[in-house]
Amino acid sequence: MGAITALGHTAAATWAALSEGRSGIGPIETIPTEQLNVKIAAEVHGFDPAAHIDNKKLPLLDRVSQFALIAAREAVAQSGLDFRVDGRGERSACIIGSGIGGEGTHNEQSKRFYGDKNPRVHPLTILRVMANAPACHIGIEYGLTGPTFAVVSACASANHAMSQAADMIRSGKVDFAVTGGTEACVTVTTMKAWEAMRVTADDTCRPFCKQRRGMVLGEGAGIFVFEAWEHAKARGATILAEFAGSGMTADAADMVFPSEVTVARAMQNALADAGLNPEDVGYINAHGTATPANDPTESKAIRRAFGAHADALAVSSTKSMHGHALGAAGAIELVAAIGALRHGILPPTANFIDPDPACDLDYVPNVAREKAVNAVLSNSFAFGGLNSVVALKKAG
Amino acid sequence: MSQVQDAVFGIIAKEANIDVSKITLDSTLKDLEIASLDAVQIIFEIEDHFKITMPDRDPNFDTESVRGLVEAVEKLVAEKPAGDAPAAQG
Repeated sequence: MGAITALGHTAAATWAALSEGRSGIGPIETIPTEQLNVKIAAEVHGFDPAAHIDNKKLPLLDRVSQFALIAAREAVAQSGLDFRVDGRGERSACIIGSGIGGEGTHNEQSKRFYGDKNPRVHPLTILRVMANAPACHIGIEYGLTGPTFAVVSACASANHAMSQAADMIRSGKVDFAVTGGTEACVTVTTMKAWEAMRVTADDTCRPFCKQRRGMVLGEGAGIFVFEAWEHAKARGATILAEFAGSGMTADAADMVFPSEVTVARAMQNALADAGLNPEDVGYINAHGTATPANDPTESKAIRRAFGAHADALAVSSTKSMHGHALGAAGAIELVAAIGALRHGILPPTANFIDPDPACDLDYVPNVAREKAVNAVLSNSFAFGGLNSVVALKKAG
Repeated sequence: MSQVQDAVFGIIAKEANIDVSKITLDSTLKDLEIASLDAVQIIFEIEDHFKITMPDRDPNFDTESVRGLVEAVEKLVAEKPAGDAPAAQG
């Protein structure tokens, strides 16, 4: 497990903040803000790419690939796997989600061409912008020569990518996968585009709460090493959790307004795929964007999927701390889900003031809760009406 | 009908693909069955036309009703520095 987020440069630092209910949302520092109305985000601060990536290689990597590579190094080191021996590289997939790809490079080069009227665009622009670049850089670093590609499905990208990776292992196509999501979307034009949609908050992110004013953009990456269960057991690996199943549905109805029925069905499918009963689940890491539309619909969908057990569930949105990192969201949230399983601490929904009558579940407001759980779900829903839910069980 | 009102009605009719005769000052966007995505496009077109920035969820502005939109535009246009003319009709 590896991560780089507004909460820290490692999965451990990210989990430490999540388990203390600390928010990484603050005034934007990495881009000029004069032209922005919304001047807050959950940015990765104090990050010096040159400290991690060789000078010769660095020009090839947009921030989105830098995040992915750094998180992958943490994950691979922790796994203890050397992909270059025993033909492991050939039996490894590398599937990384990203909603946008190298947006920072796209911005810089567009400004150079249109704004500065400079006729020359940087020759590595394409290699930095393409959304599959993060997967390729990880693959090159570790010699992963199996199925390697990006999954692009907006805010569901990471969950879709990890579900695909797990299915490949299940099917026997591969034995290992390096998978997750990455995003570096705090750029002037992306911020302006979200502002124009009028779904971003200007104070902070308060999911499921009456005073919520919308989402807050985040950035970062979460990368994991998936391994066939028997293989991991046989080599005595430290197993962080079991990726037990996934559920994927599409609303096929509206580009922005979510559908309770298909959102619920994604959760039900994840439970069925994982062989879980609703009562087995103790915690849901919600999509919880803090928009007017998502939070009540997601709450109703949880009731629909879980019935009476919905009242016994703890549900929190950690976007209140690491922001909404779009295509990396599900991967960063998997750090929270794994933390809940391993440590018996449920990360809270931070910045919570008053409950909204339209959101009537237990959202673990503001303070982390000690509670042992054996199975969890993590929800990600995307514009376009795409729903991707993953189910995890405690390793053991 | 004021010029502002005329332009706002025109933008709503065009963006929501409804007949301008259906729009009254007393209509809400909801009455006109305008979905949220159409509403943000209407606000964008209004901003672009008048070269103003409409407030976002400001309790002092009502952007849910046609009258609210017209009044907000009138207020913002009046507050604008002179010489910043609205875009040509088109």
